[in-house]
Amino acid sequence: MPFIEFKNVERRYMLGTNEFYALKSVDLEIEEGEMVVILGPSGAGKSTLLNLLGGMDSPTGGEILFNGHDISNFKDDELTAYRAWNVGVVFQFYNLIPTLTAYENVALMKDVRRNVKKGSIWEKESEGVEVMDPALALSSVGLSEHMNQFPSQMSGGEQQRTSIARALAKNPRLLLCDEPTGALDTGTGKEVLKLLQQESRKNRHTVVMVTHNSFFADIADRVIRVKNGTVQSVEINESVKDAEEVYW
Amino acid sequence: MLFRKMIRDLLQSKVQFLSIFLMSFLGIFVFAGLDSEASGMALYESKYYEKTDLPDLWVQGKEFKDYDLKVIRSLPGVKKSEKRIQKDGKALLKEETDLQMNFIESNDIGKMLIVSGEPYNPGESGVWIDFKLAEKQGLSTGDILKMKLEGTEFEEEIRGTFYHPEYVYFLPDAAAMMPDYGSYGEAFMDIEEYPMEPAFNQIIVDLEGVDNTGGLSDKEKDICRRMGDAIASALDSDRIVATDKDSQLSYQTFHAEIEQHQSMTYMFPAVFLLIAILGIITTMTRMTSRQRIQIGTLKALGFTKKTITIHYASYSFFLSLTGGIMGALLGYNTIAELIIGMQGSAYLVPEMKTAFSVRAYGAIIVSVAVSTLVSFLSCRKELAPAPSETLRPASPKNLKHSLIEKSRLWMKLDFATQWNIRDIMRNKVRSAMGIFGVLGCSMLLFAAFACLDTMDFLSTWMYGELNTSSYQIIMENDTPYSVTEEYAKKYRGQMVQNGSCEIEVMGVKKSGALTVYDTGNFLHFEDRNMKQIRLNRRGIAMSCKMADTLGVKEGDLFRWHVLGDDKWQVSHVSLLYRNPTVQGITMTRELYSDMEYDFVPDVIYTNMNAKEELSDDDNITGVQSVGEMMEAFDSMKEMMYMMVYILVCAAGILGIVVLYNLGVLSLVEKHRQMSTLKVLGFTTGKIRLILQDQNTWLTLLGIILGIPCGMWLVSRLFSTMPESMDYIATFKPMSFVYTFAGTFALSFAVNRLLSRKVKNVDMVDALKG
Ligand SMILES: Nc1ncnc2c1ncn2[C@@H]1O[C@H](COP(=O)(O)OP(=O)(O)O)[C@@H](O)[C@H]1O
Ligand SMILES: [Mg+2]
Repeated sequence: MPFIEFKNVERRYMLGTNEFYALKSVDLEIEEGEMVVILGPSGAGKSTLLNLLGGMDSPTGGEILFNGHDISNFKDDELTAYRAWNVGVVFQFYNLIPTLTAYENVALMKDVRRNVKKGSIWEKESEGVEVMDPALALSSVGLSEHMNQFPSQMSGGEQQRTSIARALAKNPRLLLCDEPTGALDTGTGKEVLKLLQQESRKNRHTVVMVTHNSFFADIADRVIRVKNGTVQSVEINESVKDAEEVYW
Repeated sequence: MLFRKMIRDLLQSKVQFLSIFLMSFLGIFVFAGLDSEASGMALYESKYYEKTDLPDLWVQGKEFKDYDLKVIRSLPGVKKSEKRIQKDGKALLKEETDLQMNFIESNDIGKMLIVSGEPYNPGESGVWIDFKLAEKQGLSTGDILKMKLEGTEFEEEIRGTFYHPEYVYFLPDAAAMMPDYGSYGEAFMDIEEYPMEPAFNQIIVDLEGVDNTGGLSDKEKDICRRMGDAIASALDSDRIVATDKDSQLSYQTFHAEIEQHQSMTYMFPAVFLLIAILGIITTMTRMTSRQRIQIGTLKALGFTKKTITIHYASYSFFLSLTGGIMGALLGYNTIAELIIGMQGSAYLVPEMKTAFSVRAYGAIIVSVAVSTLVSFLSCRKELAPAPSETLRPASPKNLKHSLIEKSRLWMKLDFATQWNIRDIMRNKVRSAMGIFGVLGCSMLLFAAFACLDTMDFLSTWMYGELNTSSYQIIMENDTPYSVTEEYAKKYRGQMVQNGSCEIEVMGVKKSGALTVYDTGNFLHFEDRNMKQIRLNRRGIAMSCKMADTLGVKEGDLFRWHVLGDDKWQVSHVSLLYRNPTVQGITMTRELYSDMEYDFVPDVIYTNMNAKEELSDDDNITGVQSVGEMMEAFDSMKEMMYMMVYILVCAAGILGIVVLYNLGVLSLVEKHRQMSTLKVLGFTTGKIRLILQDQNTWLTLLGIILGIPCGMWLVSRLFSTMPESMDYIATFKPMSFVYTFAGTFALSFAVNRLLSRKVKNVDMVDALKG
């Protein structure tokens, strides 16, 4: 059984009286611990795909299986529990809470776990998975020095690393990143990539990264190409490169 | 962590959150402050009457015997009764001082509340005097008090001082306009001390089913009336009159004052609270929608809806709760204390404190609930869509061009006007709230000014139109007509008898004033629309408010009798006249005499100054000038003035808070546009002018809408006054001017404050992503 499976998934929007398919008949499989890169031009439907994966949106058709459970018909609170237990998100514009320090932004994750509904299937599956100590999470992304700074006092790279620390702190089985380097320069972008690759290799957590930059395909185990709302191809990368070695 | 976020958010958006705090603070401050005062008065009134057991009926007669008392006591529905002698005498101090004396057999109803000395026991000698008299005249227990009653001098040892529930409000004679407690007083003695052969002239009665709290309900009034009739017929005497609490000067005056406070404290603060709550709603909605991305992020991170909603709702909850509680505490300790303190000189109550009422709690709960609910709902609105949706930037709304923009006129407008029109159209809620804030502010200001106008007009109306004399000469009680006539001739005055009567229409009885006037040119009458009218020489006229309360019109029949005489008359209402303070019936002396009543005038109205000449005259109680009467009248309205000041201040502050807050909100929202304007080369001054323009339009609209609302508010206020008052809401032109100028000044001041922020708009913001 694949870790994640998309079966004939579609996401349709109504624009006035017209239907618009942001995604159409998508079939996909992703294995646990893989580093996945979703590639495609702007407007192709990459974010839509990622949102469906992360339970931040629901498909208008088809099935999405996570560890064998169909999440496509989940209600709002079920999706919330799914996100709380399984998914870490890194946003393109970091989306840190501006009035909390780096440390506090990460520590938020403890609140998430504390507040989530008890007794869900995910709770049993994630038995023994603890939320990381915020200081540890921050030091793992190299931010021990900046823990008490507010987002506005940090550079873009530092903010994105905080955002990654926040996502990692949950110890999520699925880490989703939407254009995580989109707002960063090459040097800092590379730092971010390293962190993501490390997460998949060391902790055997699945990392899915959306990008329009095809150079990033080199560091992925699996590359999914999306265009006009459909999956064009899925490749297994035989010669995975280290993030260090990628140039753009 | 979310708690920390809340605290930091609060600190960061200080202005907005402070304004929410202030709005709920001010709303509750005024509401609870005024309400606690009125509630306190009502509460302590009840407590006092409860403790001392104020009588329900006063039965006046010539000579009551033990047998009469027995008859009354045997009537079903009578709880207790006592007979006594009540007479006006003098205390012989440095000067002769008016002293109303009560000779009693027991003291189980209308009990003295002893302040110093010993309590009274039946059969004990000595005299008990009222606390204020003792205080002001330097008398204390153990002193010997010399007194004079109907020519007989006698003396007693002072055994104690007291407060008495029948003397909460008490005037020495008809000439007095305002109480000056201590310069006259009342005393209680045992009947054994009566210096002559006793003849009991009063029986006081306590009834079943009429309690001492919260005024008289309709049912209680009905009981009083029925029992009064029952007593009169049981005693089978012509000369017996039973009056109930509503006709007792002390009870009635004090209770009417309380009712007036209650109606005043209801309308204004309610409007105030409403404005505050609306301000909170706008601010909170805006605040929440500005945190849209953060809400989406929190949701994407796995926070439950519940946690996020509680987080956002708690902003409002804490702010409105702390604001409300602090407002209530401060209002309770300042406004309420201030106004209730002013009552002390007018009413003799041993204890009168402010009291926090259910309504004040209700106001806090409502304002907290509403503001929390609003944040709850606006947060829910952001949470409803999937997080993927919330995280996308909000789609710009209303991109359609409005009608104005399509019209040909549009092209002719300059850029500033176009920009402003667009801005207003695209931000309807915010603009509406701005207009509403100004509306509320100008409404309250105008209402406050109109209250002053009404009071002002009232004294000119009373002492300039309805009565055009310059002096009134007040005769001693029971001065015979022949004597009074001499004075009237000498001073070329008009004689008037002011009495009381009871009027009945279809079973509804009301006590009212009975005015009988002789020919003369000082007393005038006006109809409902304040046009001068002449009363019919052969008919009985009724005051408008009395007619309204009884539901009669001109030409209708009614029954009435003079108080102190139980012969009922049936008459037509010949005419209606309007009087602000005295409600009842009026007729000529001729008609009155034709009905075989004695015309005993107690006042002479004149234009001749007889003040000096008559100051020592034994037949004259006093002479008062119009100036003195107006002054006395004005000082009775102190509480009204006080409230007006409080309202003007509070309205001003509320206006500033609402406008400043909206200004900041709109600046925050327009920030990007403005920095773009700056990049395009507009000067700070020009941008300021554009903003100023918009503000001026909205302010103007707010005032135009606010003034009629203020008029409505004042009219409502004066129509809820107690039965005896018939005030006419008056609006003077200057009030319009003041309101206009005041509100504009406020709006301009706020705009100046805001303009400084325009200078700080950073051009870089326009270029950021
Ligand atoms: N809420 C929405 N309503 C309508 N169209 C949408 C919505 N969200 C996304 N789309 C459309 O779906 C397509 C795919 O969007 P997206 O997944 O964001 O693309 P990208 O590959 O750039 O991330 C785009 O054409 C976008 O306009
Ligand atoms: Mg995208």
